Amino acid sequence: MSSPSSSFGKASDSEAASKSAAASAASGGVQVTTFTELVDEVTLHFQIIHLAKQIYVWIGSDSAKLGNLYAAAPTRPNNSVSVTSILGGASDNTGSGIARRLVLKTGLNIIVACNIPKNNPMLEANAEKKLMEKLITLGYSRPKSRSPGA
Amino acid sequence: MGGLEQRFPVPLKNFSVEIKGNNTDLVICRYDDHFLVMATQIGTMGTILHARKEEGVTVEPTFNVSVILGKRDEPMLLAITRQLIENISSSGSSMPLVLSLGLKDHSTETLKGIVSAVVENRLW
Repeated sequence: MSSPSSSFGKASDSEAASKSAAASAASGGVQVTTFTELVDEVTLHFQIIHLAKQIYVWIGSDSAKLGNLYAAAPTRPNNSVSVTSILGGASDNTGSGIARRLVLKTGLNIIVACNIPKNNPMLEANAEKKLMEKLITLGYSRPKSRSPGA
Repeated sequence: MGGLEQRFPVPLKNFSVEIKGNNTDLVICRYDDHFLVMATQIGTMGTILHARKEEGVTVEPTFNVSVILGKRDEPMLLAITRQLIENISSSGSSMPLVLSLGLKDHSTETLKGIVSAVVENRLW
């Protein structure tokens, strides 16, 4: 009597199982990912804190200072991005471009704390690339809109 | 050369508590020049506040607490921030605090719950 509902139940069970497998990577409330990369002879540290509807990212290099803090989010109606500096960054906006492009590529609401040396656009670009690679691995890229014929 | 075996330079604690029936995720980080504390019940960082100690030469320290993003009309958030920066200061650290609070309610019970959960798990 319950065969339609039991097959529905199975689908949601496997969904629930895969969700809990992903969540179990978190110890405690939220998932935190940290990694370190050597880029152009500079050591970069990355920290990603995944909340349900927002992510926080810290990029550090020579020291573990917090750095400049930016908030960035998609902005309606044009799918554009707004970025604002919320701490530091008064005379130096290293990291604001990273925040903006992360939102453009992922559609997420993001807080970025960036502590990399200023006046080094190559380093900034490399840091952004490594971060973007990791976010894609973690499943965060913006889904591409389907073309009509596909 | 596998020279990157050093531990990640930012100590971090990540845990959950239940406060007044609401699941609250907390993250506490210690950077070289700031503490970062996140407490959320809503899946986002919510309001972000900043607190620092201002030390005079001869007088007792005063604290500057302000909202840097989010709700500016909820005094309970400032109260939590102030309690935490005072706790940091009395534990001997002069580092400023960045605190994010994404809370479902702003009652006194929640305030006490957050402050005690953070202080119990402090990195200062």
